[in-house]
Amino acid sequence: MADLNEGRLDLPRSRARFVAFAVVAALIFSILGVRLFHLQVVRGEEYAAEAVRSRTVEVPIPAPRGLVYDRQGRALVVNVPSWTVKVRPADLPAGATGRVLRRVAELTGSEPRTLRQRLNAFQGSPFDLVPIERGISRQAALIIGEESASLPGVVVEVDPIRRYLDDQGAANGKLLSHILGYTGPVNLDEFRDLADDGYLRDDVIGRAGVEASFEEALRGTYGAELWVRDAGGRAVNSLETLQEPVPGKNLMLTLDARMQRVATDALRWGMKAVGVEQGVTVVMNPQTGEILAMVSLPAYDNNKFATGISAEDYQVYLDNPARPLRNHAIADIYPPGSTFKLVTGLAALEAGVTTAGRLWPTYACYQIPGAPDGQCLYDWNRQGFGPLNMVDAFAHSSDTFFYQMAIRLGIDAFGSWAEELGFGERSGIALPGEAAGIVASREWARSQGRENVFTGELAQAGIGQNVVAVTPVQLLNAYAAVANGGKLMRPMVVRGETDADGKLVERYKPEVIRRLDASAANLRTMRIGAREVITSGHAYNIRDLRLPGALSGKTGTAEFGTRSRRGTLPFHSWFVAYLPSNAGSTDADLAVVTFSYSAVVPGNVSLAVVKYFLQEWYDLKQDLRLDPRDFSLVTAN
Amino acid sequence: MGATTLTATLVDNVRARRWRSFDLQLCLYMVLLIVLGLVMGYSVGYAEAGDAADLSQTVKTLIWATIGLIIFFTAASVDYHWLQTLTMPIYLFVLGLLALTLMIGTNLFGAQLSITVAGLDFQFSEVAKVLMVVVLATFLSGRREKVGKLSTLVGAAVLMAIPTALVFRQPDLGTALVFVAILIGMLFMSGASIGWMGIFTGATVAVAPLLVQTLENYQRQRLFCFLDPGADPQGACYQLIQSLNAVGSGGLFGQGLTAGRQNQLGFLPVQSTDFIFTVVAEELGFIGSILVLVIFGLLIWRILAIGWGARDALGMMMAVGLASMLLFQIMVNVGMVIGIMPVTGIPLPFITYGGSSLISLMFGMGILQSVRMHARKPTF
Repeated sequence: MADLNEGRLDLPRSRARFVAFAVVAALIFSILGVRLFHLQVVRGEEYAAEAVRSRTVEVPIPAPRGLVYDRQGRALVVNVPSWTVKVRPADLPAGATGRVLRRVAELTGSEPRTLRQRLNAFQGSPFDLVPIERGISRQAALIIGEESASLPGVVVEVDPIRRYLDDQGAANGKLLSHILGYTGPVNLDEFRDLADDGYLRDDVIGRAGVEASFEEALRGTYGAELWVRDAGGRAVNSLETLQEPVPGKNLMLTLDARMQRVATDALRWGMKAVGVEQGVTVVMNPQTGEILAMVSLPAYDNNKFATGISAEDYQVYLDNPARPLRNHAIADIYPPGSTFKLVTGLAALEAGVTTAGRLWPTYACYQIPGAPDGQCLYDWNRQGFGPLNMVDAFAHSSDTFFYQMAIRLGIDAFGSWAEELGFGERSGIALPGEAAGIVASREWARSQGRENVFTGELAQAGIGQNVVAVTPVQLLNAYAAVANGGKLMRPMVVRGETDADGKLVERYKPEVIRRLDASAANLRTMRIGAREVITSGHAYNIRDLRLPGALSGKTGTAEFGTRSRRGTLPFHSWFVAYLPSNAGSTDADLAVVTFSYSAVVPGNVSLAVVKYFLQEWYDLKQDLRLDPRDFSLVTAN
Repeated sequence: MGATTLTATLVDNVRARRWRSFDLQLCLYMVLLIVLGLVMGYSVGYAEAGDAADLSQTVKTLIWATIGLIIFFTAASVDYHWLQTLTMPIYLFVLGLLALTLMIGTNLFGAQLSITVAGLDFQFSEVAKVLMVVVLATFLSGRREKVGKLSTLVGAAVLMAIPTALVFRQPDLGTALVFVAILIGMLFMSGASIGWMGIFTGATVAVAPLLVQTLENYQRQRLFCFLDPGADPQGACYQLIQSLNAVGSGGLFGQGLTAGRQNQLGFLPVQSTDFIFTVVAEELGFIGSILVLVIFGLLIWRILAIGWGARDALGMMMAVGLASMLLFQIMVNVGMVIGIMPVTGIPLPFITYGGSSLISLMFGMGILQSVRMHARKPTF
């Protein structure tokens, strides 16, 4: 069907093809219309509901973390508001990251490298806010707010952070760092496990001390709020509160912050006097197992962790050979030396190896039974003491007496009595990282590929050397059990929990781990021995302290390592003691152990530390401390 | 002086007679769609700027529309046969501009889609679409009795292949597909052999998977979302899912202008461009969106009528070329928004924000007016 137009032959104009085109067009419009009808009218409500669902988001309401108080009600951990710089990776263009982080670092006085590490370490959803620097100054926070246009993805939020205080209420992270611990951000692996418990990706979790062991109580229960969010995942406005947050419980510690201060000062003085790098003092109430002070030196500053410790600072802690991050009172084990004679002595009495009154010969060097002639174990006193009974042997700390006791007990009775007194097992104190310790046993021998321990090993274990290693808290607890008449108590650091209004909601009662299977008479014999250590033994002048009650105790040293050029070995020194705080009472209510790690100066610095602690704590107006130059005067065992 | 007056009077007379056949319907539909685009653009700007609605985009669109109107009337008043004369320069102009865009184009979402002159973004591929209709119309109308031959098909395909390849390289899959749609529509309407077209279409379908392989990963993922939106709800298909939610939320009557929650909360990424129909559907509901489709349908109907009534094949081909282009863009854009077409970057004619698209389309509408005013009936 051609069309003639101004004399030119033109294209055919096909009506059929026009109709076809129109039909196709009509078909297309019909399909679009039907589909729209289906989406908007038939399934409209469904899509609308889905749209609402995808537009709302449950925003958690963090609960304030519980506070911590000492037994006198002094606040030791509080929450303070702090400015935190956070980054939402989705809003931070890749090309601008370097510039933005450099500017933030400049304003907050940090390193761009550190910020980038924190940002990269996060690995969550790109819509999550990543805290990259906590505890920035108000000034920096304001400037970042002003520059928000040129700092895409960067926001500043007010987050509470932990502040750790001392007995005076001043920020001082070092006084109680090992007890209180610190919090730190959850990492991605932990988050996978914790997300179901309501943890958030930028949440913190207790990392050490009671912050870790009482995490659940301190954390509280987060609430939830329903928010409308925009396409970027940002919450726009709140619709309703789904669940109110429940603030974390406050902890009431058994510790007394002032006693902690006194114990710390005393230990620090002693360690400085003899150039020792590691030391422990633990004070407990032997009747209840309540820990009153627990000092592990060197300490770390947990306030540094509150704002996120820098990699450099953390490395300094890690590189320190004295391991400041570890609580040496529970996490590390040491040979107890002569203090362990309490265990050997009590076991010998209970097993019938000896009686309280029976005299045993002592030697300069004790020939090991069954060993070739001349293989003998020396007494620290190379002259020997002559015949001794249990009390005198304990008071004078005769090694050869206790070699004999251990050998006659045999490995099984010795081992089971050590375990009876709590050695070789965790005490169950509510602090993370406790060590179990080592006690000589057949099992231990088998782990060394032998049927039994050597007789010499058994003898040495009897005086707390060789195959015996204990934590300071275990040793203190064993003495406390003897002091209180035979109850091995669970050492406790928290007495109770209160709610946000200060109402007591949970009380932790003293717990008896076990009643010792020992007779009152034998326990009394050992207590007399411990008293004799002070009154007629060689504990130097500690007897001159005008203490409110009768002090009993035991010194100990344990040599180890390699001899110096003068032929002396470095040694640990121990002093463990207990006393009643009231005149007239015979029930000891204060037990203390001090341990100092490695000294080459002769003398027992731990004894001097305890003496200093007691005279300060009881305000004795006496100063019987030694001149550090006089340490050689102290009999070293 | 006198001669000039005489000429002016003559011209006026001629024009006055011709302007009487000015297609008011076409003009009305065009203006309605542009106004709708302005209103929807305002609603989107309202979302982005919060309470103080951002007028700058609306103002820009108004400026573009004004320029477009001048071009529209200019094109309407000029005899469209001039375009035939200028076909070769136009074709070279198109190729040159597309090559230029490829070389110095501004980077937008990873693709070189436009170049910036004096602060204004020019998407030459939009202009190229209308100009290629002109080029093809000239070529096909010139084939006359040879139109049914294979050579016509090959010639048209080769003419179209070069600009198509250039936009595909940008990469602008959407415009490349529009070029192909224009080619097929115009060939069909020119009277080309259905058999050969079938073979060519079959061959194209056969090589399509190979072309898909050359696409960027993000384009490929987006392309196939409509088959299963749940496949990657947070990633490539996020837009589509949010779009479906928005369209569904519109219901029968819509949520009202500037009241679409999906739109106002920014759940429709780049909503002012390709997903504008989502906002129409959410805020104006089923009634509103059907109304918009009806206006589009009437517009295409008018264009076909103008084509049917054109004086010669050139005018007819221009009309069906523009109709093909509009129909294809509407089908793919609206289809994409409602989840029955793959997600490609094809704008909705007149409504999607974009100056170059708008003035190109208005230029095209101007040509149609010229075709209408030089149609058979008034002339004879």
